[in-house]
Amino acid sequence: MSGRAGTSRSRANGRRRLPSLQTLTRELPATAMTATGAVALRLRELTGRDVIDLESLQDLVSVGYRAVEVRNQHRAGSFAVDEFGYDREYTNTIVPLFRLLYRRYWRVETTGLEHVPRHGGALLVSNHSGVLPFDGAMIEIAVIDEADRYPRALVASFFGTMPVLSWFLRRTGQTLGHPDDALRLLRSGELVLVFPEGVRGTGKLYSERYRLRRFGRGGFVEMALRAGVPVVPISVVGSEEIYPMLADVQPLARLFGFPYFPITPTFPWLGPLGLVPLPTKWRIRFHAPVHTEDYGAGAADDPSLVMRISDEVRDTIQAGLMAELMERRSVFRG
Amino acid sequence: MLITGVSRFWGCQLAKGLEAEPSIERIVAVDTATPPIELSRTDFVRADIRHGLIGKLLHAIDIDTVVHAGLIVDPRRAGARQVHETNVIGTMNLLAACSASGSAVRKLVVKSSTAVYGAEAEDPSIWSEEMVRRAPARDGFTRDLDEVEGYVRDFSLRKPDAVTTVLRFANVLGPTHGTPFSRLFDLAAIPTVLGFDPRLQFVHEADAVATLKHAVLHERPGTFNVAGSGVVILSQAISMMGKANLPVLPFAGAGMLVDVVNRAVPLGFPAHLTRLLQFGRVVDTAALRERFGVALQYSTPDTVLEHVRSRRTRDLPPAPSRRAYEAELEEFLQAQSPASANGHRKTARARPATRRRPARRGPVDRS
Repeated sequence: MSGRAGTSRSRANGRRRLPSLQTLTRELPATAMTATGAVALRLRELTGRDVIDLESLQDLVSVGYRAVEVRNQHRAGSFAVDEFGYDREYTNTIVPLFRLLYRRYWRVETTGLEHVPRHGGALLVSNHSGVLPFDGAMIEIAVIDEADRYPRALVASFFGTMPVLSWFLRRTGQTLGHPDDALRLLRSGELVLVFPEGVRGTGKLYSERYRLRRFGRGGFVEMALRAGVPVVPISVVGSEEIYPMLADVQPLARLFGFPYFPITPTFPWLGPLGLVPLPTKWRIRFHAPVHTEDYGAGAADDPSLVMRISDEVRDTIQAGLMAELMERRSVFRG
Repeated sequence: MLITGVSRFWGCQLAKGLEAEPSIERIVAVDTATPPIELSRTDFVRADIRHGLIGKLLHAIDIDTVVHAGLIVDPRRAGARQVHETNVIGTMNLLAACSASGSAVRKLVVKSSTAVYGAEAEDPSIWSEEMVRRAPARDGFTRDLDEVEGYVRDFSLRKPDAVTTVLRFANVLGPTHGTPFSRLFDLAAIPTVLGFDPRLQFVHEADAVATLKHAVLHERPGTFNVAGSGVVILSQAISMMGKANLPVLPFAGAGMLVDVVNRAVPLGFPAHLTRLLQFGRVVDTAALRERFGVALQYSTPDTVLEHVRSRRTRDLPPAPSRRAYEAELEEFLQAQSPASANGHRKTARARPATRRRPARRGPVDRS
């Protein structure tokens, strides 16, 4: 009798100890947050300016929490992706992270968002640069936050062969740059973001910055004509300086299966630290849409029309870049 | 009508399903082995579709509908050589017989696979029927499938008045049919390709058979993708099954690794499916819904869930069938009845069962 009572008491003790540990771990982040807050306040009193950006920190913490929550949900298998592998909920956990880059790191100034249609399909066309395609992410954040729409970017097909990125890009709404994919998305009324320069744009040397490359063969115009959607040109300034690429070592690129292998002032000399992009000041300008709806689907087979519209879009973006650059006083301070 | 490949799941289930259709006069089933289930109305003929004799059979009984369900998709069912012979030579021979002059064939239904699209990193996200793979076939099975569909196209050109239906099925899951994926999902921890999480589609075995049946009973010329609506991601399917995700396959050379291991220990998982495990594949099923006119019972996620559910009870002994009891009871009552007009025949029929009578008495007495 007494033995049984003893075991039941020790079991009860064990049960009591477990929640205390749980509460501790649960309260730890809050305690840490309060402590950081106190430290930040003290630092501000001492130095007279914000040394620790509390708001950003809070954002980061909430990103972590939300990510864990969604991961637990996903562990149970209770989520749905669309046929392209897009998971809106997962994307929403990632967005705050990029929003932080958008607001705090690159301090993006966006104009002309009224040109992004609030419903129905449209093709967003932008210049492309910066070795790693951060410009795509920043355009997406701008559209998500200001136009409340989730654009779907077309990415280079070699991303499909890269571990982790292959599923991460799909999960966050991107798909491979296949014309059939784009047409399917446009016809279902999605915003599709394309970079007609492709890897020729991201692989640009620093000396060639803000000089647009050839816009493919105008395939993006064909897609817009076939789907009967407007084309919205976008100029992004600032992204071309985040990784100043001094040289491209093609033999190494071929070895790793990359389209280019950049040499920057920091990469590969500093290893992974060299991958940290420079905190330039960005400006994104959305231009008035080029309407293709009235030409009819048959117009897509008319190469002269396709090239004419392609050139028009390219010229608009190039002129936008020059206009923004003329306004810019400093690369880092804007 | 004629059904090929009746010794395997597709052929025999289709034959069984069609037996209940009064519009079908006669079902002749051919294969090199006997059907695994009992068929009542189907005439089984042991014949090899790789042999010229199949033409004689077609002519002799004036076959008007041919269902080619004999394509081997699961290489565990046969050696690599036999798979190639059956798929390519068998199809060639069968279709040659169907398109010969004087052949009465008016309808051809072919069971194909979405594997014909391949699985590459640069593929379009969604395949519709008219799209063609850009990369050359990487393995013998896909190459064979190309040839098979080529023969079917030749047939439809040579016999334009015949209705030719090609059904490209996604991977099948279900309680009875063992497929490479069902075997993969039976493992305690599921090996996946490191850093890849492909989109997959499945079709439930009941839907697969129903679709074949629909093609036989209706005139639906053309090629159709057959897959449950929606997609699942491999990691999601693994979580649905409550299994562990084991990313052990390297993202370069996973196929080669599986091939080498397969040679040493048969895994029951063909090397060509590792590309699917890495890059995935999704097909457009709008044509199936709109032109073909079949609404599948199970979506892709439902198929996986249903598969999981059926797997949970698989190891339990099968539940006793009520119908077997009823038949025995009927038999017993008729044997007891002295007023039966043809009682003599009935007792003769019941005799083989008398040996088991003690076991049978229980439920009868209680009632």
